[in-house]
Amino acid sequence: MMQRNSGFLKKMFLLFSVIGPGLITGIADDDATGIATYASVGASYGYKMLWGLFLITISLIVVQEMAARMGAVTGKGLSALIRENFGVKMTLFAMVTLLITNLAITIADFAGAAASLEILSIPKYISVPFVALLVWMVTLRGSYKKAERFFLVISLVMISYIIAAFLVKPDWGEVFKNTFIPTFSFDRDFVLMFIAMVGTTITPWMQFYHQASVVDKGIDIEHYEYEKMDVVIGSLVSNILAFFIIVTTAATLNKAGISIEMAEDAAIALKPLAGDYASTLFAVGLFGASLIAAHIVPLSTAYAITEAFGFENGLDKKFKEAPVFYGIILFFIIIGSGVIFLPSSLFIKLIIISQEVTGILTPIILIYMIKLTTNKDVMGEYTNSGAFNIVAWITVGFIIFLTIILTVSPFLS
Amino acid sequence: MNNITSFYLSRVIGNRVFYGESVFGKLVDLAVDVNFEKPKVVAALIRENGEERFYDFSFFEIKKEKGQYRISCAEKKPIYIDVHRTMRLVKHILDKQIVDINGRKVVRVNDVRLAVLSTGTYAVAVDIGIEGLLRRLGLAKPIKKFFKNFGKNITSKFILWDYVQPITSAKSDLKISMSYNKLYTLHPSDLADIIEDLDKKTQAAVFASLDDEKAADVLEELETKAQINVLESLPVEKAADVLEKMPFDEAADILDDINKERADKILNEMDVRASREIKELMQYPEHTVGSIMVRDFISFKTIFTVEDTIKELRRIKPDADVIYYLYVTDEMGKLVGVVSLRDLVIAEPDTLLKDIMKQDVIFVRDTDDVNSLIGIISKYSLLAVPVIDAEKRLIGVVIINDIVYELLKRNRRMA
Repeated sequence: MMQRNSGFLKKMFLLFSVIGPGLITGIADDDATGIATYASVGASYGYKMLWGLFLITISLIVVQEMAARMGAVTGKGLSALIRENFGVKMTLFAMVTLLITNLAITIADFAGAAASLEILSIPKYISVPFVALLVWMVTLRGSYKKAERFFLVISLVMISYIIAAFLVKPDWGEVFKNTFIPTFSFDRDFVLMFIAMVGTTITPWMQFYHQASVVDKGIDIEHYEYEKMDVVIGSLVSNILAFFIIVTTAATLNKAGISIEMAEDAAIALKPLAGDYASTLFAVGLFGASLIAAHIVPLSTAYAITEAFGFENGLDKKFKEAPVFYGIILFFIIIGSGVIFLPSSLFIKLIIISQEVTGILTPIILIYMIKLTTNKDVMGEYTNSGAFNIVAWITVGFIIFLTIILTVSPFLS
Repeated sequence: MNNITSFYLSRVIGNRVFYGESVFGKLVDLAVDVNFEKPKVVAALIRENGEERFYDFSFFEIKKEKGQYRISCAEKKPIYIDVHRTMRLVKHILDKQIVDINGRKVVRVNDVRLAVLSTGTYAVAVDIGIEGLLRRLGLAKPIKKFFKNFGKNITSKFILWDYVQPITSAKSDLKISMSYNKLYTLHPSDLADIIEDLDKKTQAAVFASLDDEKAADVLEELETKAQINVLESLPVEKAADVLEKMPFDEAADILDDINKERADKILNEMDVRASREIKELMQYPEHTVGSIMVRDFISFKTIFTVEDTIKELRRIKPDADVIYYLYVTDEMGKLVGVVSLRDLVIAEPDTLLKDIMKQDVIFVRDTDDVNSLIGIISKYSLLAVPVIDAEKRLIGVVIINDIVYELLKRNRRMA
């Protein structure tokens, strides 16, 4: 009995020491762009798309698992593997598109942080410089371990979404029904919204970041079982939060017939409908998620690009030793915080363009990932199994199909 | 058509290969034999109707025609490639990381420069500069022209082949560079920096290829994370052999950091004396003097004469950093004095140590905090301090080097 007990404790300990990369990636996934999308899903279509989160969660697990496994087996980042296996031209293409989409995401997250603090009555002329400085300080001071702890603490504020969902007293019967019974409409807007929901959940920076942090944390293939759990937990947490965001806006904004464009719109619209608490909780969650993503996205871009082209990188280096690496991060922070002062119409356009670019990049990255994870020279004995490969291709095919529709649709209308 | 004297790998890979006037395939890769002083191209890998085959490169010719490279083959002679002495330039070098021995860092290869001599074609340098990247993208010429308008130049950056150390990733089929012989010319601390820059798997592979002496020197210089990685991935016997070659206090430090089961296995594999000493050191909590002291110090009894002492020193041949202060103990092993090397050399041969020793020795307790030790060392400007236990018995020495190391480690943690 004692033996079994200590075995269990040891396993739990190992799990907690491994857990992190997947969980943080999952939480950062619900950043300002994610919250905006989920909130408008709920506002526009009520509970009707809840069932879709099931499919998305499975897809997310499949994709992130491949990234984590590559990190554990090769000890290298995704962009290094792309460079080594697909050459300079393809690498450049992937890196330029990654740079554009990530820059847009960073801008959106700075905006998200600013907007959420504005709801809490802190003007953006104070909050934006503060957030920029905070992100830069964490970058300069940080080792991965410290950053990870910092993020895990911040991510606790995400619980606020769950509380908010209970505060607005949704019709739980309705919620359960729509979670398990799919409804679909071939209305063009419905389809596009559904695709946007998939697109915001599975974004390229996540694969780069997740793989990089598995490598950075030094997770081995021997401890890979635990990392797999980390992937599953991270994806679940990410989509459970998305679930509650949709429920919150479905129960309030949808009923009142309000549709929204930005994440902060949801928080503002909640105030008269659900009271100050729900509105504040929503804003707090938005701030936490934006802050994490505003740190992670620039960092993972800097790692990806420097690794691909052979520049010095790493948080343990000084600015002088790795100028390109820190230069990219600084560039992101400056542009990210600077653009906030643009008019919001321009800003929304920017976000839409970035979604298009992401739409081009996502399929390419996913195809690279499958090619890499089936390559024996790269993965040795840890290539995808036959069954996994089928699931992976279906997932990837599904996402490619959706992103192609999303990308070409503006040209059709 | 012009004969050429040198060319870039990227300019010929993917080009069509002519046999007479007809095309018979595309050039996929060049294989070089590394047993020559400069790696000589011995085979060309050609894709022909969807199949890849190696052909003897001595029948190949590369010429420049209207700015393009034309590859022709006079005789299609299939050739066998010995994986133990050949390396493929595209598969194993291009886009991969190598160690730049001269610049002492890990870099990525953008292109390979080859030279055509009367005796054959040789890889002479790798290109790691921006120009190489642009060339791969087909943008080198226009962009260079553009920058010339502003009087600026895109510099190319080459590493001569003599200073290129290819590295294999764990899953690679590259066998020949496993010796990593070029790395031996590097100073251990430079080599440690390089190893830290590699991915985990490659770290372990490169480290495992070093002999025990070199490995011990390098292990001392590695940062904690890399130390843990290499020690946990090495075979237990090798890990034990390497740690035996290190100063015991540092070995104890490292073993403290790694997984306990693994540390026990390694300790069991070590020779009995070493493992006992290390285990004792490991019992001291971190930040106490005991955890950083050296136990293999030298001490002399009060009744030794100067002559005895010098004879003894000649026999033990102690390291430079422990020879400056000779500690003197009584019958019970208690610390009673210290004799400096200077005092010893200028004294008459038959003088007893107790007559020339200084009795007010500065010492620390094994349980003292390292901070107080640092205070003492800087206050009295000492190179080493003796360590005593509760019964005033001399049990070790702390050398200034170890303190510097401890401070560095702490700074790194705080940064």
